[in-house]
Amino acid sequence: MHLFLTALLIILSGGILVLPLNRQFTLMKTIGAVSIVAGCLMGLYDAGTKLIRGTSAEISFQYLKQFNLSLQMDGLSAFFLVVIFSVSLLAAIYSFHYMHQSKRCLATAVNYLFFSLLVISMALVVTAADILTFMLCWEVMSLSSFFLVIFNYQAPENRKAGYLYFVFSHIGAMFLLTAFGILYAGTGSFGFGDMTALSNTAKILVFIFAFIGFGSKAGVFPLHVWLPHAHPAAPSHISAVMSGVMIKTGIYGILRIYTLLNFHTPLFGEIVLIAGIVSGILGVVYALGQQDIKRLLAYSSVENIGIILIGMGIGMIGVAYGKPVMAVFGFAGGLLHVLNHAFFKTLLFMGAGMVQHQTGTLAMDSLGGLLKKMKITGTTFLVGSLAISGLPPFNGFVGEFLIYFGGFNGSGLGKTHFAISVLAIISLAVIGGLAMACFTKVMGVAFQGEPRSSVVENADETGLMTMKIPMLVLSGACLLIGIFPNLFIMIAIKATASLGLGYGRLPVEPFLELTGKITRFSALFLALFTLILCLRAWLYRGKSVTHAGTWGCGFTRPTAKMQYTGSSYAASILEFFRIVAPLHEVQSKPTRRFPGKSHYASRVNDVAELYLNTVIVNPFLSIFDKLRWIQHGDIHLYIGYILLAIVVLLFFV
Amino acid sequence: MIQSLIFWLLAILVAPFFAAVILKVKAFFGGKKGPPLLIHYYTLHKLFQKGSVYSTSTTFIFKLGPMVSLCTAVTTLMFLPIAGNQPVCSFSGDIIMILYLLGLGRFFTIAAAMDTASPFEGMGAAREAYFPIICEAAMFMILILLFKLTGDLELSAFLAGDQPIRIWQAAGSPLLFVVIALFIILLTENARVPVDDPATHLELTMIHEVMVLDHSGPDFGFIELGAFCKLFFYAALIARLACPFHVGQPLLDAGLFGVTLLLVYAAVGVTESIMARYRMDKVPKFVLTSFALAFFATIITLEFAK
Repeated sequence: MHLFLTALLIILSGGILVLPLNRQFTLMKTIGAVSIVAGCLMGLYDAGTKLIRGTSAEISFQYLKQFNLSLQMDGLSAFFLVVIFSVSLLAAIYSFHYMHQSKRCLATAVNYLFFSLLVISMALVVTAADILTFMLCWEVMSLSSFFLVIFNYQAPENRKAGYLYFVFSHIGAMFLLTAFGILYAGTGSFGFGDMTALSNTAKILVFIFAFIGFGSKAGVFPLHVWLPHAHPAAPSHISAVMSGVMIKTGIYGILRIYTLLNFHTPLFGEIVLIAGIVSGILGVVYALGQQDIKRLLAYSSVENIGIILIGMGIGMIGVAYGKPVMAVFGFAGGLLHVLNHAFFKTLLFMGAGMVQHQTGTLAMDSLGGLLKKMKITGTTFLVGSLAISGLPPFNGFVGEFLIYFGGFNGSGLGKTHFAISVLAIISLAVIGGLAMACFTKVMGVAFQGEPRSSVVENADETGLMTMKIPMLVLSGACLLIGIFPNLFIMIAIKATASLGLGYGRLPVEPFLELTGKITRFSALFLALFTLILCLRAWLYRGKSVTHAGTWGCGFTRPTAKMQYTGSSYAASILEFFRIVAPLHEVQSKPTRRFPGKSHYASRVNDVAELYLNTVIVNPFLSIFDKLRWIQHGDIHLYIGYILLAIVVLLFFV
Repeated sequence: MIQSLIFWLLAILVAPFFAAVILKVKAFFGGKKGPPLLIHYYTLHKLFQKGSVYSTSTTFIFKLGPMVSLCTAVTTLMFLPIAGNQPVCSFSGDIIMILYLLGLGRFFTIAAAMDTASPFEGMGAAREAYFPIICEAAMFMILILLFKLTGDLELSAFLAGDQPIRIWQAAGSPLLFVVIALFIILLTENARVPVDDPATHLELTMIHEVMVLDHSGPDFGFIELGAFCKLFFYAALIARLACPFHVGQPLLDAGLFGVTLLLVYAAVGVTESIMARYRMDKVPKFVLTSFALAFFATIITLEFAK
């Protein structure tokens, strides 16, 4: 545990040291990045060894002689710590070349400070062992990420995004406080360990409130509204950390509360599973409708949170019905997907960051042909796209494979749960297909084809080593986990072992034997691929290979503007989902015989965002409007209020 | 093992022949003589002899596309119990892997099409990304039924030996729905009428053919061979379920399997001859029929067949 705290101290001291050094731009960046990297490496070592050995550690401090702040690192914490530290490490490396505005040196230094605070607070959130510590770290995490989101505060839409995030994270925190309040009322203790004493009704209430609170951080539909605004606003390495790991603290929270409540009702599983299905499908449908790469990636995070929740929901139902195999498949699949999503989503955000860095835009329909100019970015983005579409032999497939197994195991249960399992399996299949459509769109429109505007002309990725290395490392990791998943599945199963889910310790071997087949399958596939590669080389020996323009189907003057756009690529699929993804169109049609200028714009509306104002915000505003007379501005009456409040309290408390 | 390998190689070798049966049936309905049954071998030979012309817009993905799509199709056949024999390899869950592997092939076909910057190919790619989503949902619905009946997720547990008969005994006539659903999936996944018309002359109305417009020479040969293998895979699934009998003598079984396969391919030919291609916005409804059929088959089987 001391190693862990030292690691956090290193990160913190680096974060503070950058402030006075902000005039030396490169030195400041180096110190900021290196301290985070060093701290993360130490933390990674500590958490990794604890996870593999299966040991846990704890430590506690007195705070203000009143409160006991305690930390505990068990298997589940260690698993999330591995994810947090590995992604933050790579993001810190990436930030070195990404943060290039030397004129904004103070803002950059502040950014490093909050980045350090974010890493520290995330690490503390997943190790906190009592309510106070947890809420403290949770708030520090929300606030530091808020300041990171408004790094480019000059643009009004970024300030708006930051505000939205701020509001959402505090509404979420309010729900968490309610949940913890019920806990405290029932047990009279801040400790995590005493929750089992609650009555069953209170447990259900606590779980639902905590689920809403954590869900708003994780981006569960319909609480995801802040995500597609905050991610594009933040610098790319920050969006990578936020989307890759920060929203996973919500998942951690749900899992932790579920474990601590130790109440195995299928209701929890049903709630989580249904929320997962809805987030998964709607997330990817909205992702498909986006024009901005980072917004698309943000919605795709909603989708992947959905997949993780489907896995966890299957696990919870498995626990409730005493089906340990189903439970392990569900939880291990969900946890593995946490790791996988952290890797490929970070990779994709870094790729998007490189595109933004070099072209100044993220609008897909102004890009095109980037793969030719940015080979490493394009190729690693391709790997990320394959992984996120859940295709073998990449890592995204492995987690989904386990979840499928859990789902099929669940189809043996009674009618309701058979129906739910069927729903889970079918939605996983549909999500997979839609994710593929979504990421072939990004690849095809932004990276392939011909440039659609002049911004692409100067795109180039030479130099910028610290931005390319993390992308290469991550795409290597995606392939590695995809081909040799056993180690990672083992640590995911070990992390679930610490959940204490009432079925004791299961032998890991049968699971590993099953997933070991993935390795053999991938090897077979790659061997056949090599064979075909050789066959192709042999067939092309000494042949003439010429180059010419694309066949225009008889049309001789094609231009880059004629290419299929991202919107048209997604149009027919979105038409199918128009009930949940209404298309908003603005157009002026060409009129008269000699038509003047005409234009057309379309946007896919998010129903959650659309109805947020009319259903939730406006009613509340009108209620508060009616109560405005209380705030009259007369100081005497305000003093009267205070007096009245004290008298009332004296009588009733 | 050796036998399985031989069957696997044989399947790749005869796949082009069977695909020609469709052309023959269509020619018969059109009152024409039609191309010879070995036409696809001539085509493949011709393509492998040629060089290639690459579009200047393309990248390495364009060259990767044909190889990946062939490789996925060929790997898929390794898990297929051909004529009821044990496949070359199989494990619990292999069918999920196979479906995702076919997805990998599709990803690269789409990516290769988007690589050319051609609006027509983009149009085809958008359709190729759309329709198979519904097919996959239907496939998984069928899988749920088969899992409930056999308790396994292995292709060989569904199709090898006398397993198909057991499935029929357990499920009864609702399995006919599954066969029809699989047939619809075959038509969709393999770009046949009424979803896609491989023989039309207008690029705007195509799906698969328009996506491979810019491929030429051996690359195009790979795509063709991959498409034949994929068609063979789906046809073999249907053939084993439609004719579940298993004698136990390899030659007799292979013969029976071959005849059933011929009938499945002929059925594709007949469908193509008597139907027109649906308008593109009607296609999803047609494909959804397969999902509905599989869904009803599952419900009926689980409620009444016990």
